[in-house]
Amino acid sequence: MKYWQMFWTVSLVVAGVSFALITLVVSVRGYKDLREMFGRLSRRGDGNHE
Amino acid sequence: MGFTVVDWLIVIVYLIVSVAVGLIGKRFIGNVAHYLVAGRELGLYVGIATLAATEIGTITYMYNGELGYKYGFAAFAAALISGVVMIFVGRTGFVIHRLRELRLMTVPEFFEVKYSRGLRLVTGVLVALGGILNMGVFLKIEGEFLTIVSGIPSRYLVLAMTVILLLELLYTVLGGMVSVVITDFIQYVLLSVATILVTAYAVYHAGWGNIVDKVATTMGEAGVNPIANPKFGLTFFIWQVLLWFSVHTCWQTTAMRMFATRSAETSKRVMTWTGFIFLGRGMLPMLWGIAALTLFGTGAIDQGVPLPVVNGQTLAPIDAMPAMLANILRPGVKGIVVAGMLAATMSVNSSYLLGWSAVISQDIILPLRRVLGKAPMDSRAQILVNRISNLFVSLFLMFWGLYYTPPGAVYLYLNITGTIFLAGAFVCVVGGLYWRRANTTGGYLAMLAGAAGAIIPFFFLHWSENVTGFAAFGLAALGLVIGSLVGRPATAARAAQEAE
Repeated sequence: MKYWQMFWTVSLVVAGVSFALITLVVSVRGYKDLREMFGRLSRRGDGNHE
Repeated sequence: MGFTVVDWLIVIVYLIVSVAVGLIGKRFIGNVAHYLVAGRELGLYVGIATLAATEIGTITYMYNGELGYKYGFAAFAAALISGVVMIFVGRTGFVIHRLRELRLMTVPEFFEVKYSRGLRLVTGVLVALGGILNMGVFLKIEGEFLTIVSGIPSRYLVLAMTVILLLELLYTVLGGMVSVVITDFIQYVLLSVATILVTAYAVYHAGWGNIVDKVATTMGEAGVNPIANPKFGLTFFIWQVLLWFSVHTCWQTTAMRMFATRSAETSKRVMTWTGFIFLGRGMLPMLWGIAALTLFGTGAIDQGVPLPVVNGQTLAPIDAMPAMLANILRPGVKGIVVAGMLAATMSVNSSYLLGWSAVISQDIILPLRRVLGKAPMDSRAQILVNRISNLFVSLFLMFWGLYYTPPGAVYLYLNITGTIFLAGAFVCVVGGLYWRRANTTGGYLAMLAGAAGAIIPFFFLHWSENVTGFAAFGLAALGLVIGSLVGRPATAARAAQEAE
């Protein structure tokens, strides 16, 4: 029981820290991604590219 | 404590910004690929944001909170499996890499590429049916969360959820995937902030030591050891591994994001990093549920755990977590959290509306028109059909979603409705991509056996969810193998179909 408890505690810390760090990075760099997406969609217009 | 003026202001500002930003997407819709897969222009970071936002809703928090309340730390096993499988799929590119290279827009489209138009149609029907039934419980449960936390009287639940559905419908119908991606980005940031805030509040108020003690005294070994917990065990793990492999590769809303990335390599990276988010997506709300058990689990014992008693009122376990938030969050923070949960709700609902309506239009209506000998539709007409399908799905959800109550734990209901098509679809996709012998006969058998394997044992024989899920995947695999060995080889069948 003690080992399971330790295992879940470590897993929880890894999950929480990953969640927070990825959120931080995505929040900062996602905006640039969005702008690039808009730029490319505008340039491509309404031609059928499929 | 109810909502204060500050809380209301935060929520209203969020709603206005979200819808206004969402409407920008309409400008960029030139053809059906823009509408359904954002012109395949998703980069890594926005890809992570939209995939995470799509699969993290208030419903996710609710069912994971319920699992944590009922099964303690043992429930973390479900979250761990979902995250680890996702990281594995991302690192190896299993299924997603090949599917992305085929430049698809929906999962059933693959069935026409590999098998036949008829099988695409059958798969489209099963995917749409399972997906919409799955989404059918979202509104009511999300509404419960919002009314409990915000203190809105429950008689306004239908009105509140209808307004939210209409708002998300507005930008989804007009701007398709582009609008959904833009709003997902904002919603992801907000829901993540809310998740971190709630976690900090829950642990602070319940106390880590108290949380650990409560699970130990209430559940004993079963509260930390998932193998010893009778609700889980080995069949649960095998079923969950299969289920999550199929969700991460063949679930329409997830697959659409993979199809929308700039390249197959980008799709792998998006999947890998979102896998880490999936660990928190499960474990953090499960922790909130355990914190709610610690603070309010003082009622009569029901299925091994004490029912939550909040302000003298006995509640269902699923309502314990939102009731805890209503009690521990202070004004201002409560507004941010509710806005975050609304963000989670809207990002999931808009993505699911688009995903299931895409299947209805692209994999049911369009193939049916071709079967009937009608001329192919141009891009604009396809977008119109998609928009109309979107409206029909919303109408169904409004009526079914607000009045139907699922039996048992919500997490398991969602898993079973998903399994109706996922078992067959996953087996057919894997077989189609990696086994030359897989053919249309096997495909039909797999889809029908998978659906029967999920529906009959669960709804008529009342088997447990674990065994039902396991049976569905087993029968689907058996169907594909037997049908493929008995039927004509894939190349001969394909040649005959093309000749026709």
